[in-house]
Amino acid sequence: MPVSDEQRMSEQEKDLKSYGLMNLVEGETPHVGKEPEEMTTTWPHLLVKELNLFYLVMIFIMGMSVFFDAPLEEMANPSVTPNPAKAPWYFLGLQELLSWGPPFWGGIFVPTVGVIILILVPYIDRSRVGTGLWFHPSRRLYNILFTVFVVVFIGLIIVGTFMRGPIWGFYWPWEPWPTH
Amino acid sequence: MIEKVKNIVFQNRFWKSVFRHGMPVNARLRSEAVMSNLFLHIHPVKIYKDSLLFRKTLGLGLISFYLFFILCITGILLMFYYIPHVQRAYQDMKDLEFAVSFGMILRNMHRWGAHSMVALVFLHMCRVFYTAGYRHPREFNWGVGVILFVCTLALSLTGYLLPWDQLAFWAITIVVNLIETMPIIGDDLRYLVVGGTLVGQNALIRFYVMHVMVLPLLVTMLIAVHFWRIRKDGGLARPE
Repeated sequence: MPVSDEQRMSEQEKDLKSYGLMNLVEGETPHVGKEPEEMTTTWPHLLVKELNLFYLVMIFIMGMSVFFDAPLEEMANPSVTPNPAKAPWYFLGLQELLSWGPPFWGGIFVPTVGVIILILVPYIDRSRVGTGLWFHPSRRLYNILFTVFVVVFIGLIIVGTFMRGPIWGFYWPWEPWPTH
Repeated sequence: MIEKVKNIVFQNRFWKSVFRHGMPVNARLRSEAVMSNLFLHIHPVKIYKDSLLFRKTLGLGLISFYLFFILCITGILLMFYYIPHVQRAYQDMKDLEFAVSFGMILRNMHRWGAHSMVALVFLHMCRVFYTAGYRHPREFNWGVGVILFVCTLALSLTGYLLPWDQLAFWAITIVVNLIETMPIIGDDLRYLVVGGTLVGQNALIRFYVMHVMVLPLLVTMLIAVHFWRIRKDGGLARPE
């Protein structure tokens, strides 16, 4: 049955798919079996949300910047070593590890192996169950292992930031450091 | 009256040469609005309704990107006032605080934005892990994400030296001494990074160039790959 251009256009708008058939290849696309009704247009639904999130981020950063000033100490002086001298907070976990044994293990080996394992994660976990769902029960072991990694990582940073005093000695946050 | 103004603004040849479609009032025009715009076309024209739910992603990846954007803008503005010289850098910090209009807010935004970005990129990684979003066909994009996290740390670290105060100097001294513990190449690598044996002028200019030029370009490129692959891998990971 011949279809007029107008009819074709209105049908296009009805099922809201704007793709055309270019080629046939074997295998599934990520969209197989998904109905158009589950979808909606990016403009305006997603774009409005993205814009709102940008406002929130701006308000948060501006607010922080109005109320809290960035630290600035005395001018750099290579002959005056602060005690303790600390790395930026995101490296304090590593600095804490360093203080436990030979520097190579804490400073180079652990972070390098950590990054390599992280990159390899998708090639180790080949399951397809629970993709896209928070804390799927079939992933309990993976989630526990990852949580241990996160807790240790953050825990070491907290120890390094708040519980290390002169010559990297251990002090509770409320404990005064010896003056000399 | 309002109709008339609308006509004058939207119905002239200039406006139509910029935005070739009309106001996006129906599905086809909405598609065109996204597809024919360079800045919007990284989005798909249509998305799953449940991908819009905040609890799916908590917006963490997008927040990380916004922070990077804010850091680029404030960073460029800071570059107008900052000279990477050991005699000048610290004075420029003081000038930002006391002489430049809104200079302190500018520096604060850059500093807090940087700290936030490190945290947010990490949280984004946690979100993807706990929702198993890294699985096939997204393995490669997860890897790109891990590299982006490392780059974020590198950006933050290179920026940490620039105020040239005691905090900056000794933090960087500790980190470069760490490089020395690397087997075989440790000594040479430390010399390469510092540009000498002590953290000084050579280290400052090296960190500066990495911070304002090399790493931002690298991260911009990796973000482009990251976003491109989100599209090519079928958008947000969904249960089968």
